[in-house]
Amino acid sequence: MTTGIQVRDLRKDFPVRDRGLFGPRTAKTAVDGLDLDIPAGRITGLLGLNGAGKTTTIKILATLLRPTSGTVRVDGLDTVADARAVRRRINLIAGGERMVYTRMTGRENLWYFAQLYDVPKRQVRTRIDDLLALVGLTNAADTPVERYSRGMTQRLAIARGLVNDPAYLLLDEPTLGLDAPIARDLRRVVARLAAEGTGVLLTSHYLAEVEELCSHVHVIADGRHLAAGSPAQLKTATGSHATVRVTVPNPSPAIAEVAARFGATRTPADDGAEVLTLRHPDDIAGPLAAAVVQAGGSITALDITEASLEDAILTLTDRTARTEAVPA
Amino acid sequence: MATATAWRTGRATAWRTWQTTRRAYPWTYAVGTVLPAALTIALGHLAFHAIGAGETGSGFHEGPYLAYLAVGATAYQFTVRLILWSAKALITEQRQGTLGALLIAPAGRLPYLLGFTAFAVLSSVAEFLTLAVVVAALGITIPVASPLGALAGALALITATFAMSVGLGGLMIAAGEAHISQNTLFCVLGLLCGYTFPRAYLPAPAQWLADALPTTAAMDVLHGSLTGGRTLTDLAPRLALSLLLSLGYLLAGLRGLPRAEARAVERTY
Repeated sequence: MTTGIQVRDLRKDFPVRDRGLFGPRTAKTAVDGLDLDIPAGRITGLLGLNGAGKTTTIKILATLLRPTSGTVRVDGLDTVADARAVRRRINLIAGGERMVYTRMTGRENLWYFAQLYDVPKRQVRTRIDDLLALVGLTNAADTPVERYSRGMTQRLAIARGLVNDPAYLLLDEPTLGLDAPIARDLRRVVARLAAEGTGVLLTSHYLAEVEELCSHVHVIADGRHLAAGSPAQLKTATGSHATVRVTVPNPSPAIAEVAARFGATRTPADDGAEVLTLRHPDDIAGPLAAAVVQAGGSITALDITEASLEDAILTLTDRTARTEAVPA
Repeated sequence: MATATAWRTGRATAWRTWQTTRRAYPWTYAVGTVLPAALTIALGHLAFHAIGAGETGSGFHEGPYLAYLAVGATAYQFTVRLILWSAKALITEQRQGTLGALLIAPAGRLPYLLGFTAFAVLSSVAEFLTLAVVVAALGITIPVASPLGALAGALALITATFAMSVGLGGLMIAAGEAHISQNTLFCVLGLLCGYTFPRAYLPAPAQWLADALPTTAAMDVLHGSLTGGRTLTDLAPRLALSLLLSLGYLLAGLRGLPRAEARAVERTY
Protein backbone atom coordinates (compact mmCIF):
# COMPACT_ATOMS: atom_id res chain seq x y z
CA MET A 1 0.00 0.00 0.00
CA THR A 2 1.39 3.40 -0.93
CA THR A 3 0.96 5.86 1.90
CA GLY A 4 3.88 8.08 0.96
CA ILE A 5 6.94 9.12 2.91
CA GLN A 6 6.33 10.71 6.29
CA VAL A 7 9.16 12.50 8.06
CA ARG A 8 8.44 13.40 11.65
CA ASP A 9 10.54 15.52 14.00
CA LEU A 10 13.69 14.44 12.21
CA ARG A 11 17.01 15.40 13.75
CA LYS A 12 20.54 14.58 12.73
CA ASP A 13 23.63 15.54 14.69
CA PHE A 14 27.12 14.90 13.41
CA PRO A 15 29.95 14.56 15.89
CA VAL A 16 32.77 16.93 15.02
CA ARG A 17 36.12 17.50 16.65
CA ASP A 18 36.78 21.16 17.35
CA ARG A 19 40.55 20.76 17.20
CA GLY A 20 43.12 18.09 16.48
CA LEU A 21 42.72 14.36 16.27
CA PHE A 22 41.93 13.92 19.95
CA GLY A 23 40.16 17.20 20.70
CA PRO A 24 36.76 17.25 22.38
CA ARG A 25 33.80 16.19 20.28
CA THR A 26 30.80 18.41 19.82
CA ALA A 27 27.59 17.78 17.93
CA LYS A 28 26.78 19.80 14.83
CA THR A 29 23.09 19.73 14.00
CA ALA A 30 22.41 19.31 10.29
CA VAL A 31 18.67 18.61 10.52
CA ASP A 32 16.60 19.94 13.36
CA GLY A 33 13.02 18.82 13.97
CA LEU A 34 12.01 18.47 10.32
CA ASP A 35 8.51 17.37 9.25
CA LEU A 36 7.86 16.46 5.61
CA ASP A 37 5.28 14.56 3.61
CA ILE A 38 6.13 13.14 0.20
CA PRO A 39 3.03 11.56 -1.29
CA ALA A 40 3.01 9.15 -4.19
CA GLY A 41 2.47 10.69 -7.60
CA ARG A 42 3.75 14.15 -6.71
CA ILE A 43 7.09 15.92 -7.20
CA THR A 44 7.99 17.61 -3.95
CA GLY A 45 10.82 20.13 -3.88
CA LEU A 46 13.22 20.54 -0.97
CA LEU A 47 14.96 23.88 -1.17
CA GLY A 48 17.44 25.82 0.87
CA LEU A 49 20.83 27.43 0.65
CA ASN A 50 24.06 25.44 0.87
CA GLY A 51 24.35 23.74 4.26
CA ALA A 52 20.60 23.91 4.87
CA GLY A 53 20.39 20.15 5.44
CA LYS A 54 18.91 19.04 2.12
CA THR A 55 21.47 16.35 1.27
CA THR A 56 21.53 15.05 4.85
CA THR A 57 17.74 14.74 4.77
CA ILE A 58 17.84 12.88 1.45
CA LYS A 59 20.56 10.55 2.73
CA ILE A 60 18.44 9.71 5.77
CA LEU A 61 15.44 9.02 3.54
CA ALA A 62 17.66 6.79 1.38
CA THR A 63 18.71 4.80 4.52
CA LEU A 64 22.33 5.91 4.08
CA LEU A 65 22.31 7.83 7.36
CA ARG A 66 20.57 7.02 10.62
CA PRO A 67 18.60 9.83 12.21
CA THR A 68 19.70 10.96 15.68
CA SER A 69 16.01 11.16 16.59
CA GLY A 70 12.65 11.30 14.87
CA THR A 71 11.22 8.91 12.32
CA VAL A 72 11.03 8.41 8.59
CA ARG A 73 8.40 6.03 7.27
CA VAL A 74 8.13 4.87 3.68
CA ASP A 75 4.72 3.34 3.02
CA GLY A 76 4.56 2.72 6.76
CA LEU A 77 8.01 1.06 6.91
CA ASP A 78 10.64 2.52 9.22
CA THR A 79 13.89 3.43 7.44
CA VAL A 80 15.97 2.08 10.34
CA ALA A 81 14.07 -1.00 11.51
CA ASP A 82 12.88 -2.05 8.02
CA ALA A 83 15.82 -0.69 6.02
CA ARG A 84 16.01 -3.56 3.55
CA ALA A 85 12.28 -3.42 2.71
CA VAL A 86 12.51 0.36 2.34
CA ARG A 87 15.46 0.00 -0.05
CA ARG A 88 13.33 -2.07 -2.40
CA ARG A 89 10.87 0.84 -2.69
CA ILE A 90 13.24 3.76 -3.11
CA ASN A 91 16.24 4.85 -5.10
CA LEU A 92 18.57 7.81 -5.04
CA ILE A 93 20.11 9.78 -7.86
CA ALA A 94 22.79 12.17 -6.65
CA GLY A 95 24.25 14.51 -9.25
CA GLY A 96 27.47 15.06 -7.37
CA GLU A 97 28.35 11.39 -6.94
CA ARG A 98 29.41 8.87 -9.54
CA MET A 99 27.56 5.79 -8.26
CA VAL A 100 28.55 3.62 -11.26
CA TYR A 101 31.58 1.43 -12.01
CA THR A 102 33.91 3.03 -14.53
CA ARG A 103 35.61 -0.17 -15.69
CA MET A 104 32.30 -1.74 -16.61
CA THR A 105 30.13 -0.85 -19.57
CA GLY A 106 26.82 0.91 -19.18
CA ARG A 107 24.93 -2.31 -19.82
CA GLU A 108 27.08 -4.27 -17.33
CA ASN A 109 26.50 -1.63 -14.67
CA LEU A 110 22.75 -1.84 -15.05
CA TRP A 111 22.88 -5.64 -15.10
CA TYR A 112 24.89 -5.68 -11.85
CA PHE A 113 22.51 -3.34 -10.06
CA ALA A 114 19.53 -5.31 -11.37
CA GLN A 115 21.01 -8.34 -9.58
CA LEU A 116 21.51 -6.36 -6.35
CA TYR A 117 17.89 -5.20 -6.52
CA ASP A 118 16.70 -8.70 -7.36
CA VAL A 119 14.86 -7.51 -10.48
CA PRO A 120 12.89 -10.50 -11.85
CA LYS A 121 15.20 -12.35 -14.24
CA ARG A 122 12.76 -12.25 -17.14
CA GLN A 123 12.53 -8.46 -16.90
CA VAL A 124 16.24 -7.67 -16.62
CA ARG A 125 17.15 -7.51 -20.31
CA THR A 126 14.07 -5.49 -21.32
CA ARG A 127 14.44 -3.09 -18.43
CA ILE A 128 18.12 -2.46 -19.19
CA ASP A 129 17.35 -1.79 -22.86
CA ASP A 130 14.48 0.53 -21.91
CA LEU A 131 16.59 2.47 -19.43
CA LEU A 132 19.50 2.82 -21.84
CA ALA A 133 17.09 4.17 -24.45
CA LEU A 134 15.49 6.47 -21.89
CA VAL A 135 18.81 8.18 -21.06
CA GLY A 136 20.07 8.11 -24.65
CA LEU A 137 22.89 5.63 -24.11
CA THR A 138 21.80 2.79 -26.38
CA ASN A 139 24.69 3.38 -28.77
CA ALA A 140 27.21 3.53 -25.90
CA ALA A 141 25.72 0.61 -23.97
CA ASP A 142 28.74 -1.64 -24.50
CA THR A 143 31.43 1.01 -24.02
CA PRO A 144 33.28 1.08 -20.69
CA VAL A 145 32.09 4.00 -18.55
CA GLU A 146 35.67 5.31 -18.24
CA ARG A 147 35.31 6.41 -21.87
CA TYR A 148 32.05 8.25 -21.20
CA SER A 149 31.83 12.03 -20.90
CA ARG A 150 30.69 13.45 -17.58
CA GLY A 151 27.20 13.95 -18.92
CA MET A 152 27.00 10.37 -20.18
CA THR A 153 28.16 9.05 -16.81
CA GLN A 154 25.50 11.13 -15.11
CA ARG A 155 22.87 9.78 -17.47
CA LEU A 156 23.92 6.25 -16.64
CA ALA A 157 23.69 7.09 -12.93
CA ILE A 158 20.12 8.21 -13.60
CA ALA A 159 19.34 4.90 -15.31
CA ARG A 160 20.86 3.10 -12.30
CA GLY A 161 18.50 5.02 -10.04
CA LEU A 162 15.53 3.71 -12.01
CA VAL A 163 16.67 0.09 -12.29
CA ASN A 164 14.39 -1.15 -9.50
CA ASP A 165 11.39 0.83 -10.76
CA PRO A 166 11.22 2.65 -7.41
CA ALA A 167 7.97 3.78 -5.84
CA TYR A 168 9.84 6.81 -4.49
CA LEU A 169 12.70 8.56 -6.21
CA LEU A 170 15.06 10.82 -4.30
CA LEU A 171 16.81 13.29 -6.59
CA ASP A 172 19.71 15.29 -5.17
CA GLU A 173 20.85 17.78 -7.81
CA PRO A 174 20.10 15.29 -10.59
CA THR A 175 20.88 17.62 -13.51
CA LEU A 176 24.22 18.84 -12.16
CA GLY A 177 26.68 18.86 -15.06
CA LEU A 178 24.14 17.80 -17.67
CA ASP A 179 23.80 19.51 -21.04
CA ALA A 180 20.57 21.48 -21.41
CA PRO A 181 18.82 19.01 -23.78
CA ILE A 182 19.61 16.04 -21.53
CA ALA A 183 18.48 17.97 -18.46
CA ARG A 184 15.24 18.80 -20.25
CA ASP A 185 14.75 15.13 -21.17
CA LEU A 186 15.35 14.14 -17.55
CA ARG A 187 12.75 16.63 -16.37
CA ARG A 188 10.29 15.08 -18.81
CA VAL A 189 11.09 11.62 -17.47
CA VAL A 190 10.62 12.75 -13.87
CA ALA A 191 7.32 14.41 -14.72
CA ARG A 192 6.16 11.25 -16.48
CA LEU A 193 7.18 9.05 -13.53
CA ALA A 194 5.25 11.26 -11.15
CA ALA A 195 2.22 11.14 -13.43
CA GLU A 196 2.45 7.35 -13.32
CA GLY A 197 2.41 7.38 -9.51
CA THR A 198 6.06 7.67 -8.41
CA GLY A 199 6.64 9.94 -5.43
CA VAL A 200 9.61 12.23 -6.10
CA LEU A 201 11.65 14.39 -3.76
CA LEU A 202 13.84 16.86 -5.64
CA THR A 203 16.60 19.18 -4.52
CA SER A 204 18.17 21.39 -7.14
CA HIS A 205 20.06 24.64 -7.37
CA TYR A 206 18.31 25.25 -10.69
CA LEU A 207 15.21 26.85 -9.26
CA ALA A 208 13.58 27.18 -12.66
CA GLU A 209 13.71 23.39 -12.76
CA VAL A 210 12.00 23.19 -9.38
CA GLU A 211 9.36 25.69 -10.45
CA GLU A 212 8.70 23.71 -13.61
CA LEU A 213 8.42 20.35 -11.90
CA CYS A 214 7.30 20.75 -8.31
CA SER A 215 3.72 21.32 -7.31
CA HIS A 216 4.76 21.54 -3.67
CA VAL A 217 7.96 22.90 -2.17
CA HIS A 218 9.47 22.79 1.31
CA VAL A 219 12.03 25.43 2.24
CA ILE A 220 14.56 24.68 4.96
CA ALA A 221 17.41 26.61 6.54
CA ASP A 222 19.89 25.37 9.12
CA GLY A 223 18.05 22.07 9.14
CA ARG A 224 14.75 23.65 10.14
CA HIS A 225 11.52 23.90 8.23
CA LEU A 226 10.73 27.46 7.12
CA ALA A 227 7.79 27.26 4.77
CA ALA A 228 5.85 25.00 2.46
CA GLY A 229 3.44 25.45 -0.40
CA SER A 230 3.28 25.70 -4.16
CA PRO A 231 5.92 27.93 -5.79
CA ALA A 232 3.19 30.53 -6.45
CA GLN A 233 2.05 30.43 -2.81
CA LEU A 234 5.62 30.87 -1.59
CA LYS A 235 6.16 33.87 -3.85
CA THR A 236 2.93 35.46 -2.68
CA ALA A 237 3.63 34.74 0.95
CA THR A 238 7.06 36.33 0.77
CA GLY A 239 5.86 39.37 -1.15
CA SER A 240 8.14 38.69 -4.10
CA HIS A 241 7.30 41.07 -6.97
CA ALA A 242 7.75 41.30 -10.70
CA THR A 243 10.51 43.64 -11.91
CA VAL A 244 9.77 46.16 -14.71
CA ARG A 245 12.60 47.81 -16.67
CA VAL A 246 11.88 50.67 -19.09
CA THR A 247 14.74 51.96 -21.25
CA VAL A 248 14.34 55.64 -22.15
CA PRO A 249 16.82 56.99 -24.75
CA ASN A 250 16.01 60.69 -24.10
CA PRO A 251 15.89 61.21 -20.32
CA SER A 252 14.71 64.60 -19.08
CA PRO A 253 13.62 66.26 -15.83
CA ALA A 254 10.02 65.26 -16.69
CA ILE A 255 11.08 61.60 -16.92
CA ALA A 256 12.89 61.96 -13.60
CA GLU A 257 9.65 63.26 -12.12
CA VAL A 258 7.74 60.23 -13.48
CA ALA A 259 10.36 57.91 -11.98
CA ALA A 260 10.04 59.62 -8.61
CA ARG A 261 6.24 59.42 -8.76
CA PHE A 262 6.31 55.64 -9.41
CA GLY A 263 9.21 54.99 -7.04
CA ALA A 264 11.44 53.68 -9.86
CA THR A 265 15.22 53.77 -9.68
CA ARG A 266 17.15 55.44 -12.53
CA THR A 267 20.27 53.84 -13.92
CA PRO A 268 22.39 55.38 -16.70
CA ALA A 269 22.73 53.19 -19.80
CA ASP A 270 24.73 53.41 -23.06
CA ASP A 271 24.44 56.47 -25.37
CA GLY A 272 22.94 58.69 -22.69
CA ALA A 273 19.89 56.49 -22.19
CA GLU A 274 18.39 55.73 -18.80
CA VAL A 275 16.77 52.58 -17.40
CA LEU A 276 13.88 52.95 -14.97
CA THR A 277 13.55 49.90 -12.74
CA LEU A 278 10.57 49.16 -10.55
CA ARG A 279 9.53 46.15 -8.41
CA HIS A 280 5.81 46.08 -7.79
CA PRO A 281 3.11 43.56 -6.84
CA ASP A 282 0.62 44.81 -9.45
CA ASP A 283 0.77 45.05 -13.23
CA ILE A 284 2.55 48.37 -13.27
CA ALA A 285 4.31 48.15 -16.65
CA GLY A 286 1.44 49.72 -18.65
CA PRO A 287 0.85 52.77 -16.43
CA LEU A 288 4.60 53.41 -16.14
CA ALA A 289 5.13 53.22 -19.93
CA ALA A 290 2.13 55.52 -20.52
CA ALA A 291 3.46 58.07 -18.03
CA VAL A 292 6.89 58.08 -19.70
CA VAL A 293 5.34 58.71 -23.13
CA GLN A 294 3.07 61.45 -21.72
CA ALA A 295 6.18 63.12 -20.25
CA GLY A 296 7.68 63.28 -23.75
CA GLY A 297 9.95 60.28 -23.45
CA SER A 298 10.50 57.46 -25.93
CA ILE A 299 10.79 53.80 -25.02
CA THR A 300 13.33 51.52 -26.71
CA ALA A 301 12.88 48.50 -24.45
CA LEU A 302 10.31 47.30 -21.94
CA ASP A 303 11.30 44.26 -19.94
CA ILE A 304 9.16 42.51 -17.34
CA THR A 305 10.76 39.83 -15.13
CA GLU A 306 8.28 37.80 -13.16
CA ALA A 307 9.00 37.20 -9.48
CA SER A 308 11.19 34.13 -9.13
CA LEU A 309 11.23 31.32 -6.63
CA GLU A 310 14.82 32.31 -5.93
CA ASP A 311 13.59 35.68 -4.63
CA ALA A 312 11.13 33.89 -2.37
CA ILE A 313 13.81 31.54 -1.01
CA LEU A 314 16.22 34.39 -0.39
CA THR A 315 13.52 36.40 1.32
CA LEU A 316 12.63 33.47 3.56
CA THR A 317 16.21 32.67 4.51
CA ASP A 318 17.07 36.37 5.01
CA ARG A 319 14.10 36.74 7.34
CA THR A 320 15.25 33.76 9.38
CA ALA A 321 18.81 35.07 9.59
CA ARG A 322 17.57 38.48 10.73
CA THR A 323 15.26 36.96 13.31
CA GLU A 324 18.08 34.89 14.73
CA ALA A 325 20.43 37.88 14.79
CA VAL A 326 18.11 39.82 17.10
CA PRO A 327 19.10 39.24 20.75
CA ALA A 328 16.32 37.83 22.88
CA MET B 1 13.81 -17.04 -1.95
CA ALA B 2 16.35 -15.31 0.29
CA THR B 3 18.95 -17.90 -0.69
CA ALA B 4 18.29 -17.33 -4.39
CA THR B 5 18.63 -13.57 -3.90
CA ALA B 6 21.87 -14.04 -1.98
CA TRP B 7 23.19 -16.35 -4.71
CA ARG B 8 22.41 -13.73 -7.38
CA THR B 9 24.24 -11.06 -5.40
CA GLY B 10 27.29 -13.23 -4.73
CA ARG B 11 27.53 -14.52 -8.28
CA ALA B 12 27.05 -11.06 -9.81
CA THR B 13 29.69 -9.57 -7.50
CA ALA B 14 32.22 -12.28 -8.37
CA TRP B 15 31.52 -11.72 -12.07
CA ARG B 16 31.74 -7.95 -11.73
CA THR B 17 35.05 -8.19 -9.85
CA TRP B 18 36.43 -10.50 -12.51
CA GLN B 19 35.46 -8.07 -15.30
CA THR B 20 36.86 -4.98 -13.59
CA THR B 21 40.07 -6.72 -12.53
CA ARG B 22 40.63 -8.15 -15.99
CA ARG B 23 40.34 -4.65 -17.45
CA ALA B 24 42.32 -2.91 -14.73
CA TYR B 25 45.38 -5.14 -14.49
CA PRO B 26 47.48 -6.98 -17.09
CA TRP B 27 48.14 -10.66 -16.44
CA THR B 28 51.71 -9.76 -15.47
CA TYR B 29 50.26 -8.23 -12.28
CA ALA B 30 49.65 -11.78 -11.02
CA VAL B 31 53.33 -12.60 -11.55
CA GLY B 32 54.28 -9.62 -9.38
CA THR B 33 52.07 -10.86 -6.55
CA VAL B 34 53.72 -14.29 -6.58
CA LEU B 35 57.27 -13.00 -6.34
CA PRO B 36 57.33 -12.26 -2.55
CA ALA B 37 56.31 -15.85 -1.73
CA ALA B 38 58.74 -17.26 -4.30
CA LEU B 39 61.49 -15.13 -2.78
CA THR B 40 60.66 -16.36 0.75
CA ILE B 41 60.91 -19.99 -0.38
CA ALA B 42 64.09 -19.38 -2.38
CA LEU B 43 65.81 -17.52 0.45
CA GLY B 44 64.75 -20.21 2.91
CA HIS B 45 66.18 -22.80 0.53
CA LEU B 46 69.46 -20.86 0.30
CA ALA B 47 69.77 -20.31 4.05
CA PHE B 48 68.88 -23.91 4.82
CA HIS B 49 71.56 -25.30 2.55
CA ALA B 50 74.24 -22.57 2.71
CA ILE B 51 73.99 -21.68 6.40
CA GLY B 52 72.25 -24.61 8.04
CA ALA B 53 74.06 -27.22 5.93
CA GLY B 54 70.73 -28.93 5.28
CA GLU B 55 69.99 -29.44 8.98
CA THR B 56 67.35 -27.93 11.28
CA GLY B 57 67.83 -27.34 15.01
CA SER B 58 66.84 -29.99 17.49
CA GLY B 59 63.66 -28.06 18.36
CA PHE B 60 62.11 -28.48 14.91
CA HIS B 61 59.79 -31.50 14.75
CA GLU B 62 57.50 -30.52 11.89
CA GLY B 63 58.90 -32.73 9.15
CA PRO B 64 61.13 -31.55 6.29
CA TYR B 65 61.80 -27.84 6.86
CA LEU B 66 61.77 -26.70 3.24
CA ALA B 67 58.43 -28.42 2.63
CA TYR B 68 57.10 -26.71 5.78
CA LEU B 69 58.39 -23.37 4.51
CA ALA B 70 56.94 -23.88 1.01
CA VAL B 71 53.51 -24.74 2.41
CA GLY B 72 53.63 -21.83 4.87
CA ALA B 73 54.83 -19.22 2.35
CA THR B 74 52.18 -20.30 -0.16
CA ALA B 75 49.46 -20.24 2.50
CA TYR B 76 50.62 -16.82 3.72
CA GLN B 77 50.60 -15.47 0.18
CA PHE B 78 47.09 -16.84 -0.24
CA THR B 79 45.94 -15.29 3.05
CA VAL B 80 47.34 -11.88 2.12
CA ARG B 81 45.66 -11.95 -1.29
CA LEU B 82 42.34 -12.99 0.20
CA ILE B 83 42.45 -10.20 2.78
CA LEU B 84 43.43 -7.66 0.15
CA TRP B 85 40.36 -8.57 -1.87
CA SER B 86 37.76 -9.23 0.80
CA ALA B 87 38.64 -6.66 3.45
CA LYS B 88 39.29 -3.89 0.93
CA ALA B 89 36.08 -4.47 -1.01
CA LEU B 90 34.07 -1.78 0.77
CA ILE B 91 36.81 0.83 1.07
CA THR B 92 37.49 0.38 -2.64
CA GLU B 93 33.80 1.08 -3.30
CA GLN B 94 34.13 4.17 -1.15
CA ARG B 95 37.21 5.40 -3.03
CA GLN B 96 35.64 4.90 -6.45
CA GLY B 97 32.40 6.64 -5.44
CA THR B 98 30.12 3.61 -5.58
CA LEU B 99 29.67 2.88 -1.86
CA GLY B 100 26.44 4.88 -1.67
CA ALA B 101 24.91 3.02 -4.61
CA LEU B 102 25.84 -0.28 -2.98
CA LEU B 103 24.55 0.63 0.49
CA ILE B 104 21.12 1.75 -0.72
CA ALA B 105 20.61 -1.53 -2.60
CA PRO B 106 18.66 -4.18 -0.67
CA ALA B 107 21.29 -6.89 -1.30
CA GLY B 108 22.84 -8.42 1.81
CA ARG B 109 26.43 -7.62 2.65
CA LEU B 110 27.43 -11.24 3.37
CA PRO B 111 26.70 -12.55 -0.15
CA TYR B 112 28.38 -9.47 -1.60
CA LEU B 113 31.56 -10.15 0.39
CA LEU B 114 31.37 -13.87 -0.39
CA GLY B 115 31.25 -12.96 -4.08
CA PHE B 116 34.49 -11.02 -3.69
CA THR B 117 36.06 -13.91 -1.81
CA ALA B 118 34.97 -16.46 -4.41
CA PHE B 119 36.70 -14.38 -7.06
CA ALA B 120 39.81 -14.06 -4.87
CA VAL B 121 39.97 -17.82 -4.24
CA LEU B 122 39.60 -18.63 -7.93
CA SER B 123 42.14 -16.04 -9.04
CA SER B 124 44.61 -17.34 -6.44
CA VAL B 125 44.62 -20.74 -8.11
CA ALA B 126 46.82 -19.36 -10.91
CA GLU B 127 49.20 -17.90 -8.34
CA PHE B 128 49.21 -21.18 -6.41
CA LEU B 129 50.17 -23.11 -9.56
CA THR B 130 52.97 -20.65 -10.31
CA LEU B 131 54.36 -21.15 -6.82
CA ALA B 132 54.10 -24.93 -7.26
CA VAL B 133 56.41 -24.58 -10.26
CA VAL B 134 58.93 -22.61 -8.16
CA VAL B 135 58.78 -25.23 -5.41
CA ALA B 136 59.31 -28.06 -7.90
CA ALA B 137 62.19 -26.18 -9.57
CA LEU B 138 63.95 -25.93 -6.20
CA GLY B 139 63.59 -29.68 -5.78
CA ILE B 140 61.32 -29.41 -2.76
CA THR B 141 58.92 -32.32 -2.27
CA ILE B 142 55.76 -31.84 -0.22
CA PRO B 143 54.80 -35.03 1.62
CA VAL B 144 51.02 -35.27 1.87
CA ALA B 145 50.23 -37.27 4.98
CA SER B 146 46.47 -36.74 4.77
CA PRO B 147 44.91 -35.37 1.55
CA LEU B 148 41.54 -35.03 3.30
CA GLY B 149 43.20 -33.17 6.14
CA ALA B 150 44.97 -30.87 3.67
CA LEU B 151 41.65 -30.09 1.97
CA ALA B 152 39.99 -29.43 5.33
CA GLY B 153 42.92 -27.25 6.36
CA ALA B 154 42.74 -25.23 3.14
CA LEU B 155 38.99 -24.70 3.57
CA ALA B 156 39.49 -23.76 7.22
CA LEU B 157 42.14 -21.23 6.18
CA ILE B 158 39.79 -19.68 3.60
CA THR B 159 37.00 -19.51 6.19
CA ALA B 160 39.27 -18.04 8.86
CA THR B 161 40.69 -15.42 6.52
CA PHE B 162 37.25 -14.43 5.27
CA ALA B 163 35.91 -14.18 8.82
CA MET B 164 38.73 -11.84 9.84
CA SER B 165 38.37 -9.83 6.62
CA VAL B 166 34.75 -8.86 7.41
CA GLY B 167 35.74 -7.13 10.64
CA LEU B 168 38.86 -5.62 9.10
CA GLY B 169 36.82 -4.30 6.17
CA GLY B 170 34.47 -2.57 8.62
CA LEU B 171 37.42 -1.07 10.46
CA MET B 172 38.87 0.20 7.18
CA ILE B 173 35.75 2.05 6.01
CA ALA B 174 35.03 3.42 9.49
CA ALA B 175 38.55 4.81 9.76
CA GLY B 176 38.87 5.63 6.05
CA GLU B 177 42.26 3.96 6.09
CA ALA B 178 43.48 0.70 4.61
CA HIS B 179 47.26 0.58 4.59
CA ILE B 180 48.10 0.70 8.29
CA SER B 181 45.30 -1.67 9.26
CA GLN B 182 45.94 -4.27 6.57
CA ASN B 183 49.73 -4.27 6.97
CA THR B 184 49.45 -4.50 10.74
CA LEU B 185 47.29 -7.57 10.31
CA PHE B 186 49.72 -9.04 7.76
CA CYS B 187 52.60 -8.60 10.25
CA VAL B 188 50.60 -10.14 13.10
CA LEU B 189 49.54 -13.11 11.00
CA GLY B 190 53.02 -13.67 9.57
CA LEU B 191 54.65 -13.53 12.97
CA LEU B 192 52.14 -15.39 15.13
CA CYS B 193 50.20 -17.94 13.14
CA GLY B 194 52.94 -20.45 12.34
CA TYR B 195 52.99 -19.95 8.59
CA THR B 196 56.74 -20.22 7.99
CA PHE B 197 58.00 -21.33 11.41
CA PRO B 198 56.37 -23.25 14.28
CA ARG B 199 54.82 -20.90 16.81
CA ALA B 200 56.44 -22.94 19.61
CA TYR B 201 59.47 -20.71 18.96
CA LEU B 202 57.47 -17.65 20.08
CA PRO B 203 57.35 -16.34 23.67
CA ALA B 204 54.35 -17.57 25.67
CA PRO B 205 52.28 -14.31 25.51
CA ALA B 206 52.64 -14.24 21.73
CA GLN B 207 51.43 -17.85 21.58
CA TRP B 208 48.34 -16.94 23.62
CA LEU B 209 47.59 -14.16 21.17
CA ALA B 210 48.15 -16.56 18.27
CA ASP B 211 45.63 -18.97 19.75
CA ALA B 212 42.95 -16.29 19.55
CA LEU B 213 43.32 -16.10 15.77
CA PRO B 214 41.41 -18.66 13.67
CA THR B 215 44.19 -18.79 11.07
CA THR B 216 46.58 -20.33 13.64
CA ALA B 217 44.50 -23.47 14.14
CA ALA B 218 43.82 -23.63 10.38
CA MET B 219 47.55 -23.56 9.69
CA ASP B 220 48.07 -26.30 12.30
CA VAL B 221 45.68 -28.47 10.30
CA LEU B 222 47.33 -27.63 7.00
CA HIS B 223 50.91 -28.15 8.20
CA GLY B 224 49.97 -31.22 10.22
CA SER B 225 48.21 -32.97 7.35
CA LEU B 226 50.93 -32.13 4.79
CA THR B 227 54.34 -32.20 6.46
CA GLY B 228 53.51 -33.20 10.03
CA GLY B 229 52.41 -36.77 9.30
CA ARG B 230 49.09 -36.31 11.14
CA THR B 231 45.67 -37.67 10.20
CA LEU B 232 42.42 -35.71 10.00
CA THR B 233 41.24 -37.42 13.17
CA ASP B 234 44.34 -36.19 15.01
CA LEU B 235 43.71 -32.69 13.74
CA ALA B 236 39.92 -32.62 14.31
CA PRO B 237 40.10 -30.59 17.56
CA ARG B 238 42.24 -27.89 15.89
CA LEU B 239 39.89 -27.88 12.91
CA ALA B 240 36.88 -27.45 15.18
CA LEU B 241 38.62 -24.65 17.08
CA SER B 242 39.45 -22.84 13.85
CA LEU B 243 35.85 -23.06 12.63
CA LEU B 244 34.49 -21.94 16.00
CA LEU B 245 36.80 -18.95 16.15
CA SER B 246 35.96 -18.12 12.52
CA LEU B 247 32.27 -18.14 13.35
CA GLY B 248 32.89 -15.78 16.26
CA TYR B 249 34.95 -13.38 14.12
CA LEU B 250 32.37 -13.51 11.33
CA LEU B 251 29.42 -12.77 13.61
CA ALA B 252 31.28 -9.93 15.33
CA GLY B 253 32.33 -8.52 11.95
CA LEU B 254 28.82 -8.68 10.50
CA ARG B 255 27.37 -7.13 13.63
CA GLY B 256 29.75 -4.20 13.47
CA LEU B 257 29.52 -3.65 9.73
CA PRO B 258 26.31 -1.54 9.61
CA ARG B 259 27.75 0.82 12.21
CA ALA B 260 31.02 1.03 10.25
CA GLU B 261 29.11 1.76 7.03
CA ALA B 262 27.11 4.50 8.75
CA ARG B 263 30.35 5.97 10.09
CA ALA B 264 31.84 5.90 6.58
CA VAL B 265 28.87 7.84 5.17
CA GLU B 266 28.95 10.32 8.06
CA ARG B 267 32.66 10.92 7.53
CA THR B 268 31.92 12.40 4.10
CA TYR B 269 29.60 14.98 5.69
